[in-house]
Amino acid sequence: MTNANKSRREFLKNTGRVAAASALVAGVVPKVHAAESNTINVALIGCGGRGTGAVANALSVPNGPIKLVAMADVFDSRLKSSYENLNRKFAEQMDVPAERKFVSFDGYKSAMDCLKPGDVVILTTPCAFRGLHFSYAIEKGLNVFMEKPLTADAPTSRLMFKLGEESVKKNLKVGVGLMCRHCKARQELFDRIQSGEIGDITLLRAYRMAGPTGSAAVGPKPDNISELLYQIRNFHGFLWASGGAVSDFLIHNIDESCWMKNDWPVQAKANGGRHYRGDHVDQNFDSYSIEYTFGDGTKLLVNGRTIPGCHQEFASYAHGTKGSAVISSRAHTPAKPRIYSGHNFSKQDLTWAFPGPEPNPYQVEWNDLIAAIRNDEAYNEVERGTKASLVTSMGRMAAHTGQLITYDEMLNHEHEFAPNLDKLTLAAAAPLPSGDSGKYPIPLPGINANREY
Amino acid sequence: MHPWQLPVLLIMACSAPANLAAEDHPDPLKIPNADAKQESEMKPYAEIIEHSFAKIEMLPIPAGKFLMGSPHRENGRNVDEGPQHLTEIPAFWMAKYEITWDAYEVWMADLDILRRQVSNIKPNTRDKLADKFQLTQPTKPYTDMTFGMGKRGYPAICMTQHSARIFCKWLTAKTGRYYRLPTEAEWEYACRAGTTTSYHFGDDVKQLKNYAWYYDNSFDSYHKVGKKKPNPWGLFDMHGNVAEWVLDQHVADYYQQFSKKPAKSPLAVPKKLYPRVVRGGGWSDDPPLLRSAAREGSDELWKGQDPQLPQSIWYHTDALHVGFRIVRPLLTPTPQERAVKWDKSEPEQKDEP
Repeated sequence: MTNANKSRREFLKNTGRVAAASALVAGVVPKVHAAESNTINVALIGCGGRGTGAVANALSVPNGPIKLVAMADVFDSRLKSSYENLNRKFAEQMDVPAERKFVSFDGYKSAMDCLKPGDVVILTTPCAFRGLHFSYAIEKGLNVFMEKPLTADAPTSRLMFKLGEESVKKNLKVGVGLMCRHCKARQELFDRIQSGEIGDITLLRAYRMAGPTGSAAVGPKPDNISELLYQIRNFHGFLWASGGAVSDFLIHNIDESCWMKNDWPVQAKANGGRHYRGDHVDQNFDSYSIEYTFGDGTKLLVNGRTIPGCHQEFASYAHGTKGSAVISSRAHTPAKPRIYSGHNFSKQDLTWAFPGPEPNPYQVEWNDLIAAIRNDEAYNEVERGTKASLVTSMGRMAAHTGQLITYDEMLNHEHEFAPNLDKLTLAAAAPLPSGDSGKYPIPLPGINANREY
Repeated sequence: MHPWQLPVLLIMACSAPANLAAEDHPDPLKIPNADAKQESEMKPYAEIIEHSFAKIEMLPIPAGKFLMGSPHRENGRNVDEGPQHLTEIPAFWMAKYEITWDAYEVWMADLDILRRQVSNIKPNTRDKLADKFQLTQPTKPYTDMTFGMGKRGYPAICMTQHSARIFCKWLTAKTGRYYRLPTEAEWEYACRAGTTTSYHFGDDVKQLKNYAWYYDNSFDSYHKVGKKKPNPWGLFDMHGNVAEWVLDQHVADYYQQFSKKPAKSPLAVPKKLYPRVVRGGGWSDDPPLLRSAAREGSDELWKGQDPQLPQSIWYHTDALHVGFRIVRPLLTPTPQERAVKWDKSEPEQKDEP
């Protein structure tokens, strides 16, 4: 390395990944030639940026041999770039020859067939495929890590609840990528709130107003890609694939707020609209404002906006009868949770702040999952992850239909965005066909009061 | 893949071949006091970004010689600051303030393109050239790059040096005037503004709070630019608030070669991604890193919380203390000089398909 000076305050006090990252640098990662029976094999289904990042976290778990043995995606280019990036950092833990790389819609089966019961499959495709892939993982007796959201609509949520129960019965360990739940700082805040440090919670607020995000705004489809693959490539833009900007972006802040309340909301009302549309063809609004109500009447207000040039805020807050708490300050990590005696978050009212540094929750969630597998401890986040997904969809549906939506109405709704995904092939038609102008059906609040499109 | 790509390309495709030269080299945008052929004609001016409200105030910095680096006795000194050596710098303009979100976001979030689109304004020849440096941007970030610390009037942060370089190329195309990051030598020369002390106001750390935002007075956040006292040449926030990108690779013994002969417009052209230099220290730093001669190197850890792999070439998700300011040399370099020196950076930064 160099002797270049470091901004030590920022990296020691403000952020927490130093420990995890330097563990890598220091070569703490185990070598794969340990006892074969002790090695956990991993398969990756969905080789995008987050899936690849999840593998990097998996291969960095410092408690025993673990290696990647199979990969599947519908884009050859994604799989290739994912493999190359991982191979650059984790060459000794990569055992993915050409015959264990699968590029097709049913490649998930082939990839999971490379594993033995007790191994881990990573499900990081757009969430539309989660139920399909999870079913097969259960059939094969595999432990699972799957990214959020788990579902985008009610029928797949009901399926996911059922699958979750099956996976618990089979003692499978299943982690869900709501990594904020694994954050040590937020965990301490939760304990403090539950012990009454801010009194009874009277209001929660959550914001993800960060300007243009991911593939939420999707331009017209070029000619050199099929409609199906274009929708999958730009999954944030299409409700069947991802649940759109609400499900994919707001779920973390909604989930951590509900966690602090230690409850799930029973209904939602919401506003939203599409202000700058241009030639975008996606189904998203560019602003959302959701009011959730818990059983005791307490509200959670959630604001999402992807319009550029506006005030930005990406944080969650709790207000109580004795003070207030910052649940997360700036994006997901470091959360820097704090408690104040008042509601202005002013320095003189500060009564507690997590001392830091905060371990990176993306790594901690993997350390927790693999530890549970190795120690055979009960570990299953499916029910909680499905509830978070369903509650998030409830807010989205309230905005998209313009109606008050209760939890039971949401849970029992019949609109399945993309049925029959098990029959999908690379040559198939897209689940969402475009209209004459190349644009897709959008939510029409008040007009389409019963379904989102 | 960009929603605004198609209309722009169509318009460009319609241009007559005879206009190609003019299309590639449009006249600069006319603004007051921006023109100068020699140093004596240089004046402060306000650069304008068309189709936005943003402006960037520029101050003339005279040509001169100075002693770069710090003496052995300086408190908090690092070995990479020596030996002190004579350095010659030609005249240039430098931004009075760190680049704010007001200007940076016009590029980063395509605000000028959005305005043209919603107002049915046709792009002019400069717009067309400049748009290329926006439309090549990848997917949008996943996070709030202000990290809740404020937007209007606050310094832009968390960009890679690559992002800052492309911003300059965009601004150059947009205005018709050549802008770039300062070299490390230009930055230190302008910061010192003729002083030889640890800071441009002297050596007394107790005075620092009057000139800079740093760990002890920043309350865990950056601040609006220009709220503290400027340096002798009128530049604000050279110490603190956000550390500022310069063009150079961080080469710890780079100054050694100049111990016998003066350095003339030195620049350590980057050949690898890390470490590259930021100068002046930021809101999360302690006083020694804010000194005029202090050099900080970038690090892979600056992308630590980016959970994607490959990590973005555009964002340092963890460099909340890093921003930049721009310069414009009095003598515009030739395309050849730009290619081999001023705009050169290796390895090439490319998004994966």
